[in-house]
Amino acid sequence: MSFLELGNLHKRYGPVSALAGVDLNVASGSRTAIVGPSGCGKTTLLRLIAGFEAPDQGRIVLDGQVLANGGAAVPAHRRGIGVVAQDGALFPHLTISDNIGFGMGRNDDRRAERIVELAYIVGLDKAILQRRPHQLSGGQQQRVALARAMAMKPRLMLLDEPFSALDTGLRASMRKAVAELLETAGITTILVTHDQAEALSFASQVAVMRDGRFSQVGTPRELYLKPKDRMIAEFLGDAIILPASISGGFANSPLGRIAVDTKESRDIARIMLRPEQIGLKRTSHEGMSGTPDMLFGEVTESEFAGSTCTVAVRLLNNSDPPDAAAIGGTPLILRKSGMDAPAVGEIVRLTVSGKAHVFA
Amino acid sequence: MAPWLVAAAVSVSLLALVPLAFIIWIAVQTGWETVSALVFRPRVGELLVNTGLLVLLAVPIAITLSVTLAWLTERSDLPGARLWAWLCVAPLAIPAFVHSYAWITMVPGLHGLWAGVLVSVIAYFPFLYLPVSAALRRLDPALEDAAAALGLGPWRVFWRVVLPQLRLAICGGSLLVGLHLLAEYGLYVFIRFDTFTTAIVDQFQSTFNGPAANMLAGVLVTCCFVLLGLEVLVRGEERYARVGSGAARHQERMRLGRATVPGLLLLVVTTLLALGVPFVIIGRWLAAGGAEVWRFDEIGLALGQTLFLSLAGALLATVAAMPMAWISIRAPGPLQRLLEGCNYIVGSLPGVVIALALVTITVRIALPLYQTLFTILVAYSLMFLPRALISLRASIAQAPVELERAASSLGRRPLNALWSTTIRLSAPGAAAGMALVALGIMNELTATQMLAPNGTRTLAMAFWSYSGEIDYASAAPYAFIMVAMSLPLTWLLYVQSKRMAGR
Amino acid sequence: MKSPLLALTSVAALAISLAAGPATAEDAGIIVYNAQHESLAKDWAEGFTKETGIKVTLRNGGDSDFSNQIVAEGASSPADVFLTENSPAMVLVENAGLFAPVDADTLAQVPRDYQAASGKWVGVAARSTVFAYNTTKLKADQLPKSMLDLADPSWKGRWAASPSGADFQAIVSALLQLKGEAATADWLKAMKENFTAYKGNSTVMKAVNAGQIEGGLIYHYYYFGDQAKTGENSKNVALHYFKNQDPGAFVSVSGGGVLASSKHPKEAQAFLKWVTGKGGQDVLKNGTSFEYAVGKGAGSNPKLVPLVDLQAPKVDATTLNSKKVTDLMTTAGLL
Repeated sequence: MSFLELGNLHKRYGPVSALAGVDLNVASGSRTAIVGPSGCGKTTLLRLIAGFEAPDQGRIVLDGQVLANGGAAVPAHRRGIGVVAQDGALFPHLTISDNIGFGMGRNDDRRAERIVELAYIVGLDKAILQRRPHQLSGGQQQRVALARAMAMKPRLMLLDEPFSALDTGLRASMRKAVAELLETAGITTILVTHDQAEALSFASQVAVMRDGRFSQVGTPRELYLKPKDRMIAEFLGDAIILPASISGGFANSPLGRIAVDTKESRDIARIMLRPEQIGLKRTSHEGMSGTPDMLFGEVTESEFAGSTCTVAVRLLNNSDPPDAAAIGGTPLILRKSGMDAPAVGEIVRLTVSGKAHVFA
Repeated sequence: MAPWLVAAAVSVSLLALVPLAFIIWIAVQTGWETVSALVFRPRVGELLVNTGLLVLLAVPIAITLSVTLAWLTERSDLPGARLWAWLCVAPLAIPAFVHSYAWITMVPGLHGLWAGVLVSVIAYFPFLYLPVSAALRRLDPALEDAAAALGLGPWRVFWRVVLPQLRLAICGGSLLVGLHLLAEYGLYVFIRFDTFTTAIVDQFQSTFNGPAANMLAGVLVTCCFVLLGLEVLVRGEERYARVGSGAARHQERMRLGRATVPGLLLLVVTTLLALGVPFVIIGRWLAAGGAEVWRFDEIGLALGQTLFLSLAGALLATVAAMPMAWISIRAPGPLQRLLEGCNYIVGSLPGVVIALALVTITVRIALPLYQTLFTILVAYSLMFLPRALISLRASIAQAPVELERAASSLGRRPLNALWSTTIRLSAPGAAAGMALVALGIMNELTATQMLAPNGTRTLAMAFWSYSGEIDYASAAPYAFIMVAMSLPLTWLLYVQSKRMAGR
Repeated sequence: MKSPLLALTSVAALAISLAAGPATAEDAGIIVYNAQHESLAKDWAEGFTKETGIKVTLRNGGDSDFSNQIVAEGASSPADVFLTENSPAMVLVENAGLFAPVDADTLAQVPRDYQAASGKWVGVAARSTVFAYNTTKLKADQLPKSMLDLADPSWKGRWAASPSGADFQAIVSALLQLKGEAATADWLKAMKENFTAYKGNSTVMKAVNAGQIEGGLIYHYYYFGDQAKTGENSKNVALHYFKNQDPGAFVSVSGGGVLASSKHPKEAQAFLKWVTGKGGQDVLKNGTSFEYAVGKGAGSNPKLVPLVDLQAPKVDATTLNSKKVTDLMTTAGLL
């Protein structure tokens, strides 16, 4: 039985349909990420779960308790769901200490003690407790927001793009810290983000949202390697999508014969490879000869960017004898290590590792 | 920072301090014995109790009313919220003494403390409504969501999250209302409620610039300082701006449901009391007076003089505020804060105090300026400089300094660069500020009566003179014209408050 | 505008020229500091201008503020003529030595009783103290016999006055002259306990008429003025004259004087002569002021109780002390 169940949620704002039938099951203690482009309805969904708004239609059930059923909804303050907003939403008129203790009873004997404890848990120095929110950095503000939400021992934690306002470096470390923290506390968490890398690294379950619906829900690996369609594939990362015919577990494609993840046969299909599945090896025109089953290409662009290097490779028709004429229209764009990237004009041999994914 | 600008700002501030210095000077000259005899007497105690009770009662009531109205118009789904919002500002178009005139006509026996509280709240609550509604409008709704998620019901969210964030607005508005209560004269004369200001005018009328009047003025100034200090104390060193980046989400309007009717009722009643009563009563007196009360030669003269004084005063105040406004945006620092502080303090002094000071000073040491237009315009400038300053500062802030620098780098001399960029760009703000100053001057009574050159008769003076002889019908056209001319200006005030929400 | 200096200068010049504009226009005639009712003074000024062509600018105010103001202004006062409602203000200016002697033929138009012995100012009109009472609240036999009775505790909360007005202060100055300082101070102290303060005699009468208060100590003409209009503020009001040489039967002389510092002494003297002469006194008789005419042989409005029947106390107008009165009233907490 799942901990949180969303059933057929609908929400309209005037003529705009924000949610058009959302279903989701979240297991207890798990981390779920909802990812989608801006305007897809993910924030609306979060607001419905938090109870800031009521759905037009559909059910929200948390731990067996019906939170919303159509317009009838339990108000936010009776849900026991923690929320960490994009910029923390700290109360500017209160100290950090009072922010963290905001949800606790005012006469709680252990209030002060718990505030210090929470600050420690989220990695805040005790010294800042008497400061005001505007005196804190963005990362610190997010930690305070998290501590504040955790103080009420929520059944469910909602994170609304909590890392998006942070610097790139800080973002990754915060994400990791928060994930571990919530894991340890055993709090079921839903993260809303438009950053696919964040979603994939954070969650045990990822739901991709588009136009008010989930287009696919699954584990990060599943979604990345076996997206349902081209849009999901491209949303979650760079993808090489090729036409192919499929039989006997292999695809015949412009990249040659590639193992696929399906047994069924089809004459016309589209397959997807992640760029990191393609390896490059330096060679020369001479090296192409006598290897008709091998795949070669010429580097047409090479853009160095520090740790990585983006390389554009034009496939070459490796007939025998090789005529070096291009096959296929667009070159493959591959991101490679910046250490030993091939230069423009070099001939490379391409190899494919793993299986290609066949779109249904 | 151009030295001539600093010099200009410093001299304006020094001039602004003259009335204050004067009161101290008089006190020293009068000698402690006389001062204590004049200050520590039962009558002063009586006035202190009256004035104190008035402020203590009227301000909290005005706060409650304004916050409720602001919430209804800004955060609820009350039908016609925008119209109501303007109707909550519109009472400012009606001079306080006209409010009182209307009430005393409707309820002839009205008098005393509670009458004072009633009419004061009605006449001055918009000074609180304006900043509070502006602050409500720009509150980050995420904070309220956060509080709800932390287990707070709507009421507790309001008390613990919304209200504290309105503190700055409430403090500022309360200060403004409080200062007006201290300075108001006409309103309390009608309903026979004695405050320091009415007592000072009584003394002035009995003894001209006698020491008793000046000592009462000293006590009144002390009261003003107490209010200013209280406000600083309560406001504290707070910053209530939105923490974090990104645009705030649009606010939801709360569904009122069954509360719609009482909500509407409150607005209807407020509007009836604050706009309905004055308009109906003015209308009734106009109807009763018929064509006879429209003595056009007299009215035309008063209208002309009022417009002239208003425009000239507004112009002078704006020109005087210009250097200070420029410095406060372009070169903020301790000097600028000090200078600005001087102006705000003087701007908070009642007109009667400033007028008394200028009368005595001009009579004693600057006789050629006595009873001249120059002196009354200076008085207006001192009284209303903060209005001009606020508008100017906001608009200069919107004119990026880079433009000025660009003009300089393109070869313009400093003054020329300033003129061709910042001054041009801040013109709309200056115009708004001028309009607000003009609004203040148009409805000014006490200082005008004491300082006006011979032969001057403004609309307010004519109104006052007729109503003093209880010829309320003849006073009605003047009330009508004052209100009609002020009404468009309150719209400006409303629009400006929206723009200034950030300060 | 290309040049900022030019622009700023022109703004400043505009402001200054605006400021200077109306001030220069004043030289055309005489300036009258008028503490009398505006409508009466306006009638006088218009009548005078019509006859002589001399322009009159009125600055309106009250007895006390003007008299103190003139003293403060001293020799540089812009005023040419000072008109009051009551004598104490005149005395104050006279004692400061700021009046020029009034022309002999002007003085000759007014009986000796109504002018300063020094000849520095002259009476222009007169008014009588009355107790205006609400006819439904008070019967004739319940009326106070003397103004002094109003200090009795039985009158607590029952009567009104306008203590900040010069009219009432003139009445007190008469009391001071007739009964002495101690008695006056006591009476004022009792008054503070008993009375209700209103601003202006009209307002007092209005309150009496509305039954908010039983009676008020005011001057007679407010009643007649209102009766001549709609009567809506006096229909329940009757006047009680104390007579009997009571302090409350005090008749206050409105004065006029020419300032020694006047730059137009001839015109100013002419104005005073006109006001005390037939033209000015007829305005009192026929106009809506209902103040008593004081000129020799001039009649007052027939609706009024004749001046000679008022049995007013003998008060020397030239020694009425306004400063002492305001001090006493300030001490009593009335101001």
